[in-house]
Amino acid sequence: MKKRLFALLLAGAMTVSLAACGGSGDEQSSAPTDSSESTEQSSEEESSSEESTPPEEATGYSESPTLTELVNAGSLPALEERIPTESDVFMDTMDAGGNTLEIGTYGGVINLTGAGGSWGLSRPVLEGIIRFNADGTYYPNVIKSFEHNEDYTVWTFKLREGMKWSDGEDFNADDITFWYYMCHLNNYDTKKSWAALKETVDGEDAWAKLEKVDDYTVTWTFVNPKFPADFIESGDFKWCWAPEHYLSDMIPDTEEFPYVENPYYQSTGLDDEAVLKNAQAKGIDAATVKDLGKAIAYYWWNEDGIPCLNSYVLTTKEGNNSRDAQLCILERNPYFWKVDAKGQQLPYCEEIHFNTTSEDGQDQLMFRSGELDIIEVPMEDIASLLADLGDAAQLRELASTNWGSYLVTFNYTCTDKNYAELFANPKFRQAVSISVDREQVSGLLSENFLEPGQCAPQEGNFGYDEEWINKWTEYDVEGAKKLLEECGLVMGSDGFYDFADGSDFVLTLLTYVDSGAATAFPVLEQYYNAAGIKCATKDIEVSAFDTQIDNNDWQAILGPHTAIGGVSMKSRVQPFVPIAQAAEWYGEYGTYYGTGGQQGVKPEGDMAKLVELYEKWNSTPDSEERDKYNLEIYNLHKENLWTIAYLKSAGAYSMISSKIHNYPDLLVSDDLYQYQNIVHYWTLFKAE
Amino acid sequence: MEENAYKEQSMHEALPKKTLWEAVRDFFKKDLVQYIVKRILMFIPTLLLISVLVFFVIQLPPGDYVSAHIAALATEGEYVDADYAAQLRADYGLDLPLHEQYFKWIKDIIWTPTDSTYYRLYGSHHNWKYSFAYGRDVWDVVDDRLGLTILVTAIIMIFQYAVSLPIAVYASTHQYSVGDYISSVIGFLGAAIPNFILAIVLMYLSYKWTGNANVGLFSQEMLQNGVHLYNFGEFLKRMIIPILVIGTSGTCGIIRSVRAQMLDEVGRQYTLTARAKGVPERTIVMKYCFRAAINPTVSGLGGVLSSLFSGSTVTAMVLNMQIQGPVLLKALQAQDMYLAGAIVMVQAVLVVIGVLFSDIALAFLDPRIRYSGGGR
Repeated sequence: MKKRLFALLLAGAMTVSLAACGGSGDEQSSAPTDSSESTEQSSEEESSSEESTPPEEATGYSESPTLTELVNAGSLPALEERIPTESDVFMDTMDAGGNTLEIGTYGGVINLTGAGGSWGLSRPVLEGIIRFNADGTYYPNVIKSFEHNEDYTVWTFKLREGMKWSDGEDFNADDITFWYYMCHLNNYDTKKSWAALKETVDGEDAWAKLEKVDDYTVTWTFVNPKFPADFIESGDFKWCWAPEHYLSDMIPDTEEFPYVENPYYQSTGLDDEAVLKNAQAKGIDAATVKDLGKAIAYYWWNEDGIPCLNSYVLTTKEGNNSRDAQLCILERNPYFWKVDAKGQQLPYCEEIHFNTTSEDGQDQLMFRSGELDIIEVPMEDIASLLADLGDAAQLRELASTNWGSYLVTFNYTCTDKNYAELFANPKFRQAVSISVDREQVSGLLSENFLEPGQCAPQEGNFGYDEEWINKWTEYDVEGAKKLLEECGLVMGSDGFYDFADGSDFVLTLLTYVDSGAATAFPVLEQYYNAAGIKCATKDIEVSAFDTQIDNNDWQAILGPHTAIGGVSMKSRVQPFVPIAQAAEWYGEYGTYYGTGGQQGVKPEGDMAKLVELYEKWNSTPDSEERDKYNLEIYNLHKENLWTIAYLKSAGAYSMISSKIHNYPDLLVSDDLYQYQNIVHYWTLFKAE
Repeated sequence: MEENAYKEQSMHEALPKKTLWEAVRDFFKKDLVQYIVKRILMFIPTLLLISVLVFFVIQLPPGDYVSAHIAALATEGEYVDADYAAQLRADYGLDLPLHEQYFKWIKDIIWTPTDSTYYRLYGSHHNWKYSFAYGRDVWDVVDDRLGLTILVTAIIMIFQYAVSLPIAVYASTHQYSVGDYISSVIGFLGAAIPNFILAIVLMYLSYKWTGNANVGLFSQEMLQNGVHLYNFGEFLKRMIIPILVIGTSGTCGIIRSVRAQMLDEVGRQYTLTARAKGVPERTIVMKYCFRAAINPTVSGLGGVLSSLFSGSTVTAMVLNMQIQGPVLLKALQAQDMYLAGAIVMVQAVLVVIGVLFSDIALAFLDPRIRYSGGGR
């Protein structure tokens, strides 16, 4: 198991190093999988460096027999009219791990467990502007190509001619201008905060100017240079389109969502009630217009009837058309714009079924009886499932980009001065780290599944450093006591350390229900007590937990809600740098930057240095320089270890039926890759 | 035999003969009607009081829907800034003082005026508000599972009474017989084993024996095409575990209490007298003893309506039955107070109505019970 994990991490990590090289040119490298469009995808100066290993030439296109029947019955246009022109069709020949895909057969249903939260239905099927490979390289996906001018102020997107929405309407530049001016800039999608389209001009927030050049070309123009990491690679900027033909009667022009002047669309003049009424007529129920905007322009995959560009589309069949339904169904998009190497239109399967279960373990029962094809499994159940099911099931791993598991972090902006000073002292953190026997903890908490380690990038990830991952991991109780005394703590008569002023020192570790941290506390407590640290725990609901963090009413956390980690700063900056009210390890320092100094606590010392380095990182297009700043930021983390980890991080493990083909192993799970989205569900097929 | 029949007839003749109309009129004597009216009037303050309790108890845990929602989003990797949270609270009225939120809530449920947006959109004067967690009108969410919940619970209840009453009567009339012992043992076991454990064991056995754990009430095919005559057999097969699990525990309770009551009645003097007068045993047991013995069971029927509405939550979770109970749980977890409030309120209303019905039924069963005068 460890070897597998290692291999996977290696693959995953090459990633980031490659990804980090993206900067000026690599971001435009075409999909290694998509040769038919390679010249289109690259910018002029890079086109020579394109890989050109065309797959077998496809001779014409074919489709699922069920769709052929519909075509013959006259209820669906012929395949050639449904997919982009030959030069613009996306040919998918490799998985995200770089393996050549098997040519599949049509039919069958992929059975998954319930969709879960707002993003659940999107994970397997969402098609974004670009798509990342597991090694961090990326290529244009929905758009045919992207390019920028020399000073990075103008970005051009080219679209695929002949591409259709899932209801058969043309997908073109109008859908992009509609999304930008009618759904995004009026903040109807509640995401006007996206950094990708925003910049600062004369000290004020400003947004890109979007222009339609022709039906299949748009340009984004900025005043300042807009570098790839902040634009095309930005984890938030997943799409920039909305179906104008379907949504136009649900766009308000009100005080809350005023019309944004633009040369393409007039104000709809609709008030809240008219908008809600129109939505209701389309079967979309919303409490407020703001909720409606978020539902149709942001979480659009959760509403049936809204056309999309994904491989599978939410059914309109009553009873199965909601993610809360016991059986929620996504149907094949007959207008999907990708084909396999043989020219067969994807996806292969007819439907994806989400089967909601109400308790842990029910999914495993259903998997055993063949009702589910893919489930996520906790590591402790892997061995028994594999033993029981033999060849019928296979394990798949997605490596984590988290910086370890069983993390403890402290509140450096704690209102109690005694605690704040103590936490700020690196010797204290070192003591907390070395007071625990990681080998034993690994056995007790993970059945030796997870190796001992420190809070650091895991093997194979960008910034991996052996010294760092082993820093302060040597078990040494006496050493810990010595360090605590050097911090000014005084051993009390009860065998526990007190503050120098005689007041009690109790380390209260906050955990939240279902995070798994509560079960770890009794184990850690023994070690802390042995080192003279008196401790307590408080296990509360996650919302109450977040409220306590927001109110700065906490001392230390076991298993933070927003832990440090991620592919690199490319994926998300907030986990690494205190620039928002996001991660617990920087407490109120992040709030300070996030609110422009109005709230929070001004960072000092190395915390302030993080922000300085981030600003430098943010203002350079040079990928090497960016990596340098990223590593400098990592170095500060290595120096300070603001968060302590006891074990290395756990991956995401899936058990799949052996009937499922093309499900790759050893990929990487990260928000940047949309977690399970990296599996490419549209290429999965079922065969005995 | 003939003699016996004669005696029974003569005993019956001793009672005055009533027409049906007279019987009903007698039953709804003025005191009972007054009682019912009084009770219905009492509904108003009772329900208002319950609504206050419901609203405030649901709000007791720290945080609100917005904080729960944002925490859930963060778990999915999406971050929301504090401004947006504040705006959401303002939109949903969650930033108002609690008492104002309450008055707005209760006012809209009782009467939403014709000139409101809600009325124009939904055509209803009763705005139960919006379920945040489900993103739909509260009543839509409740309505979604109401039919199934009633169906499932009704089948289980019919099973309970159909099985338990005959067994109880048998056990009491054959006290200390082998059958009595067997029913007692099963009864105690059923009452003692927690439902959720029984559910897990049965699902495991089902998986071991048939290769299918029968998780949930419906097969995928039923969830797509609905339950029809051709797949009703499969549906009933999937009902076996829920019936056994939920049904047996209730059954055991009923058997124990009815058996004890019956034994009480069988030993009474009126039974002895009837027997001495030669009334057939069957008539004595069914017409007199049984009627008296099911009093406690009938008075327990007050909760039936409410449980028909909500179903059994814990067992439903374990068996993956998509009935009302798990919705309430989800609503409470997500701090979706309007949905949770609506479900609990409807349950409360049903309990109140159910208790009234059971009181009326008691009066019908036992003529000695009256609702006015010194006794009350």
